[in-house]
Amino acid sequence: MSKKPAKKLSRRDFIKYSGLAGAAISLGGAAGAGYFNGKNKATHTGWGKDAYGENQFFNRKPFEAATPTYEKAGKVRRIGYLENIFKRNGELYRLMYPRDGSKPQWSLDQGIDDLPEPLRSYYRNHPGSLKEFKKAIERSRQQRKNWEKYKDQYLLADAWSAAHSSPLRGREAFPPEPDGPPEESDFKGINTKPYRLKSPQHGSRLIKKITHTFGATLVGIAPVKEAWVYQGYLRGVGKTRFDKPQHWKHAVVVAIPHEWESLYANPTYGTSYDAYSMLNFIAGKLEVFLKHIGYAARSHVPPTDYDIAMPPLAIDAGLGEQGRNGILITPELGANTRLAAVTTNMPLQDDQPIDIGVKEFCRKCKICAEECPSGAISFAEKPPAPVRGYLRWEINQDKCFTIWNTVATSHPRGCRICLAICPYSRKNNWIHRLAKEIDPYDPTGAFSSAMLAMQKGFFSYPGGEAYLPPPDGNNAVYQDPPDWLKMEEWFEL
Amino acid sequence: MGLIDIFITPLFWIIMGLLYALIIYSARYWAKDLGLKMNWWKWLLSGLWFILLILTLAGGMTLIGENEVRGGLYFLGFFLIISLILGVVLWRILSVNRKKTDR
Repeated sequence: MSKKPAKKLSRRDFIKYSGLAGAAISLGGAAGAGYFNGKNKATHTGWGKDAYGENQFFNRKPFEAATPTYEKAGKVRRIGYLENIFKRNGELYRLMYPRDGSKPQWSLDQGIDDLPEPLRSYYRNHPGSLKEFKKAIERSRQQRKNWEKYKDQYLLADAWSAAHSSPLRGREAFPPEPDGPPEESDFKGINTKPYRLKSPQHGSRLIKKITHTFGATLVGIAPVKEAWVYQGYLRGVGKTRFDKPQHWKHAVVVAIPHEWESLYANPTYGTSYDAYSMLNFIAGKLEVFLKHIGYAARSHVPPTDYDIAMPPLAIDAGLGEQGRNGILITPELGANTRLAAVTTNMPLQDDQPIDIGVKEFCRKCKICAEECPSGAISFAEKPPAPVRGYLRWEINQDKCFTIWNTVATSHPRGCRICLAICPYSRKNNWIHRLAKEIDPYDPTGAFSSAMLAMQKGFFSYPGGEAYLPPPDGNNAVYQDPPDWLKMEEWFEL
Repeated sequence: MGLIDIFITPLFWIIMGLLYALIIYSARYWAKDLGLKMNWWKWLLSGLWFILLILTLAGGMTLIGENEVRGGLYFLGFFLIISLILGVVLWRILSVNRKKTDR
């Protein structure tokens, strides 16, 4: 038998087949690089990836706007403290459960006419609001009963939340509550021999650097407009009508995100307190720092220790724009943006507001409205009516709060679904970064429409009531929780 | 070092760079042996098609990696079909006046 001579591989063929193999390997490499880039925790923006926020910042310069993107419409008025759900609910709780243990001054069986002023006037103008409060309280009773059933699944998340909220409670909470009017309290303990600043620009640069070292992801500086200052209640003083204190010249506005993996597993696995406690520390430390170098300072921190409404202040500081869900949306953090501020008389240079087209995107998107388990977010194409002189979408705070009292947590500690599912709240990896960087440069809106079509066509969302406990829903979460919040990973159940 | 680190180390990207150099170098021989009459815009179109394929795989897998499995699979399905269609169209364009060769 004659053997066929073995065909020799020529140099040319060697190069050709090496190239072919190289193409296959490089495609595999691209897939692997993509997969691990998606998985990489370092691509979660603003969570300790880089202490100074370097390489995380969006270039705001091309999008600086002469005027902020909120639209003035009608007569501007300050926000009454009772217009904030936590302030008015706090008033009602204090009537129902007096701190000194005395006899309740109001109960759920009673009506609006039995309430003292100014609550009576508020609820006369907003009767649906009190009805929703009563519903929320009923739901919270059921929520407490349900907890026995759900704690096997969610105890880790509850413990994690409790740990984060613990520094905010009681007399030892930091920063301490203001004591006395701002003209006294904000000046307490300040250095009486301050050095002369070289310029307001130097002041801004210094304060931003310092605030980043305290843990801030984003820092912006805005003038304090009277329109954003609450009316009717001033911390350190109590119920009072007041003008904006003269020394509140600038606000240093700080933004940080929630821990991302728990955020995506809302409403049951996440908490608001992780970001809140960090903000308290950041703003509190900044207040101490400013006083130490000779300037008056007052921190405004979550959950309720504010004398100023945060989102418009942050818009003025150029951090982002307000979304349909009422939350500040920033190019870096999307809607996963939590805010605090420190007002001061330090000479600072204010930042410019930006326009990256959030309003137009929100007009088209509506995913937050579709996914909101409470129906609190408007579907309206455009904001239907001005709110205190500005045209913006307004969420129904009361409905939102009812859902906090409904989801399978031990107590009402929030929902945050509208933060998690916002298309802007995505990782800082190459694919989302590319979309975020290209979109603002497209004046036609075609790019964002294409992105939105993909978002709605490719991605799955549980949808509205699915986030609620049975029988209304199935305790759905937007994404699976991380292993460190899963009880079954660590305990024998 | 975890698996994740392999894909973000400089060494990985050096190897990827070498592979791309090899692909480009060998592409000339493939074109010649397949009898394709290439010019600058045909090379450009071929390069863009390959980039589309790479971005499709990387994009889909990125979404899967970040826990958006459904989004990732739909992304892969959608853009792989587009890549396939464009690949056929590209081959038609490249094959115009194609010379039959022995190799």
